Amino acid sequence: MIRLIGGEMPDFTEVRPAAGGALYRYVTGLVPAGSRVLVAGPHDGALIGALAGTTTVTCLIRSELAAAELSRHGATVLCGTLAKLTDAATYDVVIALDGTGRLCSVEGPQLEWAEAVRALTRVLRPGGTLLLAVENQLGVHHLVETGTPTGAEQDDEWGPLGEFDSTPGHPDRLALALTAEGLSVSGLAGAWPSLEQPSLVIAREVLQDGPVPALAAITARTVATAYEKKPVLSDPRRLASAAVRRGLGTELAPAWLVVAERLPREGGGLRLPSVLISPGHDTGHEAVLEIAEEPGGGWGRRVLRAADGVDPAVWNGPLPTGRLLEELLLDACLRHDLPRLRRLLSGWATALPGVTADNVLVEGDRYARLDPTAPDRPDALARFVAVLLGGGYAHPWPTVTDPARITGILASAAGIGSARLPAPDLIPAAHARREQEELVRTLQRQLAGAEERNRWYEREIRRREVELGKARVQIETFSGSLSYRLSRLAIRAVRKIRKTLSKIRKGQS
Amino acid sequence: MHHTNHWYGHAHVLAEYCGLDDTANPPRIDGVLQHGWNVGSGLGPRTRRAPGKTVYVWSEQVRRRAWSMGLRETIVVGSPFLYLLATQARDGVHPDDGPPREGTLWYPFHGWEKQSVEGDHERLIEEILATEPGPVTFCLYWHEYGNPVIRAAYERAGRVICNGYRGNLREQTEQKFLHNQLAELRRHRRVASNRLSSAVMYGTAAGCTPAVYGDPMYLAEEDVATAQRIRRRWPELHGADVDLAAARRTALDELGDGYLASPAELRTLLGWDDVAAIAPTARTEMTPAEMAPARVAVAA
Repeated sequence: MIRLIGGEMPDFTEVRPAAGGALYRYVTGLVPAGSRVLVAGPHDGALIGALAGTTTVTCLIRSELAAAELSRHGATVLCGTLAKLTDAATYDVVIALDGTGRLCSVEGPQLEWAEAVRALTRVLRPGGTLLLAVENQLGVHHLVETGTPTGAEQDDEWGPLGEFDSTPGHPDRLALALTAEGLSVSGLAGAWPSLEQPSLVIAREVLQDGPVPALAAITARTVATAYEKKPVLSDPRRLASAAVRRGLGTELAPAWLVVAERLPREGGGLRLPSVLISPGHDTGHEAVLEIAEEPGGGWGRRVLRAADGVDPAVWNGPLPTGRLLEELLLDACLRHDLPRLRRLLSGWATALPGVTADNVLVEGDRYARLDPTAPDRPDALARFVAVLLGGGYAHPWPTVTDPARITGILASAAGIGSARLPAPDLIPAAHARREQEELVRTLQRQLAGAEERNRWYEREIRRREVELGKARVQIETFSGSLSYRLSRLAIRAVRKIRKTLSKIRKGQS
Repeated sequence: MHHTNHWYGHAHVLAEYCGLDDTANPPRIDGVLQHGWNVGSGLGPRTRRAPGKTVYVWSEQVRRRAWSMGLRETIVVGSPFLYLLATQARDGVHPDDGPPREGTLWYPFHGWEKQSVEGDHERLIEEILATEPGPVTFCLYWHEYGNPVIRAAYERAGRVICNGYRGNLREQTEQKFLHNQLAELRRHRRVASNRLSSAVMYGTAAGCTPAVYGDPMYLAEEDVATAQRIRRRWPELHGADVDLAAARRTALDELGDGYLASPAELRTLLGWDDVAAIAPTARTEMTPAEMAPARVAVAA
């Protein structure tokens, strides 16, 4: 059933995909059965369908075409713009996992973030729960984006504001803003790699006090998958990982996921697990994992939602600890710490030779595989060399430009033969603009060096050719030929004359 | 091969460490090897090299210094002397296999072909004999060893030796220079000089107690400020009676202890990967122990 509330867009289709994915589906599955739920904004059909199985769902959507589609699947739909939403009906839970950016249509007022939250809160019964995603305009995704978020191009970008909008820019300010709207924040988490389709959600307090190095590694892998084929300004893995490791994980997360209750609180509301991961984000399976503190200490990994082809036994167990091997290797290269580099390489070669360096955690002498399902790669070492050279990192072998030779050096430093190692690309590709520029600068430097060396060799060859010419003349002169014999006679004669003259001089003195 | 790589038989020592059979004819090294302890960039001030070719330096500190001086093309490999110690350790040669250690091996500061030392050798000898607790062996550089006046002055005070000619332009190189030096060092309890030098570092690494004292003497037209800076920078190695533990740590650091590459890695670094074509009998299979980066065991 569709109810047109005003401001609906009859022929408009959303450009970007609706919010969804296994992780959001899991989170919405936590909504208590029997709740009255408003799903505000575009959310994927599977999420709404699953939710409708246990709760009474009403959708708020601006596109009439999308509303019709939802209605065909049996949903109750309020079609129109957020400004037209009234509190005629209130809900136990309001879900806005797509954020507030796609709630207003082109018709009527364009609500600022706080106004949009106010409108959503108004339809929440006292004690009800708001499940809200908020895009971070200073998130890693924007920092590595090649395009400008304020440029207008697509049909849905009639008023792009980017960093000029009024969305809170910091988790603290976000919590304050929600409080100001009469909400009590019970959970705030960073979400990667995007607001619409996160595959990793980490609670703010866990990013401060949890297994931070391992979480940094997990974050790096998450953005690596998301940005594998996308052009970026700089390597998002380094940025995301450094942010988490240095205590800015929540601050630089692409989005925040908030659970808030409308005051007065009733208690016992929806609680998010500390860390949620959707490991099948890129392969499409629906499994969801949690990372949580274990009763006996330490952190464990557990399958919360199983999926076909996912063996829970592979994932369930203690979370590996330590820092990402790839980062430790880069760190040792940058510090020119050859002893440490050799220890890391030989430890890797002994413990997990086929596992890529971006999937190994190192804690002391322990090497552990982070993602147990990632396949082994015979070219794991060459892949690291590609990261090292493609990323423009300084390293201890500045005169070695051939990736195959660097691979050979690392292989021998690791104590493994390099003869049958797969060769890396001649010039490793850098998909980040900054690294590309660094690579160009490096190549320019190498070319200038090679030209200068060539000129030096040319001068050296000329000098030696002159010396060779002189030597040839001497050899010919003094060889066993007639000219040689004549020369010898001439030399003897000269010597004799010199001696005679010398004697005469001595006699005179 | 840069001809200074042959000095003191350095290339030969590295070839031996890398397991090449033909150590008398080491293959070409893909750059210039630091040929002595150095407070500059690792290169001698007059070293000619093709632009951009690698300079193989002894320590990470030298690499940093070289970088700050504009020399970017460095690779840290450690000193040939430590590679010699590592080779002997690998081959089962124990540091104390020789005769008991006795007396002091004293290295008067030396000149070279283009710079002679200016100073009073007689007065230096007096100070040495007054300071050293046991017999003194004087190790003269070939330059002074070949000077009958200087040599006679030292011969009146003790045993005089020379490790051989370091060689020049790949001619007359004493390929066992470092071997001879190590053997002599291991016969003595102390190593001393009037200048901090490679020999003092080597002696310390070979288990001698170091000392640096006496008239430092100066080379003709030498930059005296640098010589004075050395005394300020490494006080732990100066004096007739030094803190042995601190001196050893410093000397080993300066020689690149902990930074030595494994034989396989060193072959790749020096450009000796295709060495089988140059020396067909080269050993290509290493034991795991040989593959591991070497670390020097210093005799107590």
